[in-house]
Amino acid sequence: MKILSWLALAARETRGSSGRLVFFAACLSVGVAAVVAVAGLSNAVDRAIQAQARELLAADLAVESRRPIPGQVLTAIDGIAGSRRAGVLELPSVVSNPAASQGTDAPGPSLLCELKAVEPGYPFYGSLETDPEGTIEQLLDRDRLLVAPEALTRLGTAVGGSLRVGDADFTIAGVITAEPDRLAVSFTLGPRVLLSQEGLERTGLVGMGSRVRHRVLVRLADGSTTDDVALARSVIGTAIPDPEFVDVESYVEAQPSLRTGLGRVERFLGLVALLSLLIGGIGVAQAVRAWLAGRLDAIAVLRAIGVRPHEVFVLYLGQTVVLALVGSAAGAVAGALAAQAVPGLLSGLIPVQVEVGWQPAAMLRGIGLGVGVALLFGLRPLFDVVRVPPVRVLRRDVDPLPVRRGIAAAMWAVLLIGIGATAAVQSGSVLRGAQFAAGLIGATAALVLGAWVVIRAVGRTPRETGSVALRHGLAALGRPGSGTLGAVVALGLGVVTVLGMYLIEDRLSAQLDAELPDEAPSAFLIDIQPDQWPGVRAVLEEADAEDVDSVEVVAGRLRSVAGVPVADLVQERGRDRRWVLTREQRLSTMESLPEDNVIVDGALWSYPDRPEVSVEQEYAADLGVGVGDSLVFDIQGVPLELLVTSIRTVDWTRFTINFFLVVEPGVLDEAPRTRIAATRIPEASESTLQDRLAASFPNVTMLRLRQLLDKVVGILLQVGLAVRMLGAFTVLAGIAILAGAISAGAVRRGRAVALYKTLGMTRAQVAAVFAVEYALVGLVAGGIGTVGGIVLSWAVTRFGFEIAWAWTPAAYLVALISTVALSVVAGLSASVRALAVRPLAILRQGD
Amino acid sequence: MSKKEPGNVLLSLRGIGRSLPSGGRMLTILDDIELDVRRGEFVAVLGPSGSGKSTLLALMAGLDRPSTGMVLLEGERIDQLSEDRLAVLRRHKVGFVFQSFQLLGNLTARENVQLPVELLGVGDARGRADELLAAVGLSARGHHYPSQLSGGEQQRVALARAFAPRPALLLADEPTGNLDGATGRRVLDLLVALRAEEGSTLVLVTHDPAVAELADRRIHLRDGRIEREETA
Repeated sequence: MKILSWLALAARETRGSSGRLVFFAACLSVGVAAVVAVAGLSNAVDRAIQAQARELLAADLAVESRRPIPGQVLTAIDGIAGSRRAGVLELPSVVSNPAASQGTDAPGPSLLCELKAVEPGYPFYGSLETDPEGTIEQLLDRDRLLVAPEALTRLGTAVGGSLRVGDADFTIAGVITAEPDRLAVSFTLGPRVLLSQEGLERTGLVGMGSRVRHRVLVRLADGSTTDDVALARSVIGTAIPDPEFVDVESYVEAQPSLRTGLGRVERFLGLVALLSLLIGGIGVAQAVRAWLAGRLDAIAVLRAIGVRPHEVFVLYLGQTVVLALVGSAAGAVAGALAAQAVPGLLSGLIPVQVEVGWQPAAMLRGIGLGVGVALLFGLRPLFDVVRVPPVRVLRRDVDPLPVRRGIAAAMWAVLLIGIGATAAVQSGSVLRGAQFAAGLIGATAALVLGAWVVIRAVGRTPRETGSVALRHGLAALGRPGSGTLGAVVALGLGVVTVLGMYLIEDRLSAQLDAELPDEAPSAFLIDIQPDQWPGVRAVLEEADAEDVDSVEVVAGRLRSVAGVPVADLVQERGRDRRWVLTREQRLSTMESLPEDNVIVDGALWSYPDRPEVSVEQEYAADLGVGVGDSLVFDIQGVPLELLVTSIRTVDWTRFTINFFLVVEPGVLDEAPRTRIAATRIPEASESTLQDRLAASFPNVTMLRLRQLLDKVVGILLQVGLAVRMLGAFTVLAGIAILAGAISAGAVRRGRAVALYKTLGMTRAQVAAVFAVEYALVGLVAGGIGTVGGIVLSWAVTRFGFEIAWAWTPAAYLVALISTVALSVVAGLSASVRALAVRPLAILRQGD
Repeated sequence: MSKKEPGNVLLSLRGIGRSLPSGGRMLTILDDIELDVRRGEFVAVLGPSGSGKSTLLALMAGLDRPSTGMVLLEGERIDQLSEDRLAVLRRHKVGFVFQSFQLLGNLTARENVQLPVELLGVGDARGRADELLAAVGLSARGHHYPSQLSGGEQQRVALARAFAPRPALLLADEPTGNLDGATGRRVLDLLVALRAEEGSTLVLVTHDPAVAELADRRIHLRDGRIEREETA
């Protein structure tokens, strides 16, 4: 038979099955839409970051360190022909409005801000937008600064007013409306204050133990190529004396850490999206099975007139592929449209300006995954066509022969491997793909078992009492071969996903949002100079601060760990948790440990001849040290070797002052130090305390725990919303499957309706019988899904995040009721035609 | 071509038995059937319900396999062929007419008739379909779907489809069983006329003696055995 004839036959064979095939396509569309939306959005964001890479860096190259950039690096930059550089310093500090206090005893309002001191030339790329407009040179000098609009409101001042930063007063020259190198999504301590470097010097804040981020932005000669950038990078790199503490980044890499982070988010969301596609796969299997069940006679005729078994298989496989293409293409279009709407809905989560567009690569990937999933799930039922005996043309009661066990097992294997493969594609890792597949298969198996047990129990429930609708609904659910198991499992998986995600997010935000523990401090004061402490303490006492705790700390850097230079360890480790080695370490001395510290290995101050250090357990694991190893620190240029003599655990959830590294008393006596303090004050007094401290000790930074946690909760809620929106696709897929299963049984249902009506039931009564059946399906799916969601969220919060678990019955109830309602609505919508059947029309048809 | 010469044996059934498991024991449907059908012959198979008529027809077409004995079509033993070989054999040599018409509901009348010719992959399928639809008087209804045709019309389309690939052997299972008397008669006349025109060998299962009257030979089955044979 010629190819064209085959194609024509395949096309003709789909006639009349359109209703059923719509469900087939819908099952795929939902999942493909989710996959495409995630991939399309992340592609667009990634492309936007790359396209705006220079603007986001404000330079061709940036050199960054927690210490001043060494002179040899600056010399090396100046040696590159045609290059220009601009220094940028960033640090958090409390800023106040002294004018508001004039004529009163109370200090003016204060606000924790992020200071940024820039040199002329900044930004080399992108534009700093200000009101009034002007260049850095025009707007900033030693006495004038720019602020973000929200700082003006919160400090009760305006352009032209004055602000106190550190020890110096400034005039507000204007507001910042856009800053090229500040990402919209980054976590910030407060609004931006932009000053000149001379201005920052005047504040006296630098060099007082503050957390300053030093950067030098470099612009290469116009027309420089990426090769020139690479060359410049290597020139700068070789000039750096201690590369482990200095980072060089070029625009060519386009925000590597941001993109790594976004990549992780994309892979996670990609798997959530894949889940809805795989649930859709269950629907595909169901739709194919129902479709072929209605084609058995036609298949038998084809076989009788000489079509070979494998030709029948190819015929129906081809139709499946075409339908999958149609369903996936529709889903891809819907997904691309959804991706275009997301930036408007979740603006807080998108780090850059994004034009999403149509994303052909993401659409193709979605279509590929859609067709792949359709084939994976459709293969097993499709194989049944090979086993339709042609003699069925003479004897209709002859059923298809069972597929051989070996072949059935092989097909299951293909399905499982295929699920793992699609997950590997979505997560970019074979291991993660395998883990996802294993988790999904385990969860599905548990749901199948649960659903089977419940449905069986329902089937055996005595039905002598209760309303007609209830009795018939119970009978319909428990009837063998009712086809509701697949729908229950699919819908249940959707409920697990959405409810599980919601509960995890709810627990996390509840934990962060909860009242702090009674004994926990509510504010931390950092960068207190030793001579300021009595004064700060007096301010705290005046403000009725309770449980003031204070410790002196010495800043230092790790030089070597167990004899291995940190530079070598950094090289080995790459970017993964590199901060453990390169951050500025805070060393404290203590005679005895706070009560929430427990020694788990070694003994405190047990080695008379050597200076000792006690290391927190998880930090020690990160560093890779144990009792007996040595750590060498660099304290303001002086090396200090410490022997690890004890490892201890710390209860961080109490928020009290604690350190990864505690040094034996006496060892740090000669080192320059600052002091930190923790205290508990009523929420209403926090602002007043901050204002007073800002007025008297402007270099002291007060961190308010409640405010910080609120910011984290804000971000978490947005992420949670995004995950739940995607999770909703899994429920949609479940609903599509339920509707498909009901539609597949339309003939049987039509006959039942005819019989019910013949026996005297009104249409409303028949609808009630069906509604009870669908409500029971929703109840079983919702119940099992809710249990699954609770187990999932319990395991994740308890063991993943290690936070307390709590029951939230209201959420479970909402999940259950919504599932029942959705199930009834979807079920009745899919039964409209069956309900309209006239008794005679069906009864005349016979079998 | 020797194939078209009348008189030589087209189909042979040798010692055919067929039994099926039923209620824990084997139920004998056919037992020790010996039968030769000559080329160009019209054989009617008669018998009451359950006598094994349809099973005999299924065995002749290679739709079913005997429990004992062998089936030879044009001298080739077909009861041991693979499903694939059997399909190709039916495609080239066997045509069917069923009591319940068995038209493909998704295909128009013309497409139903075209299909077997398309399967062969030779000749002008469309032309052949038009020719046969004209022969059964349905030229004007080629674009209609089976559900839009009356029972008699559907069976006439089925006749056209059966003859389309010019099969050596035509098997008909109660072709008038679902039709009223007049319509049935008309379909039967068409079947006989087309057979004469195409020179096909016809085995027809019926329980209607009037239909069997038209055959060259009548085989009477009872309880799975050949009870008697009559020649016209």
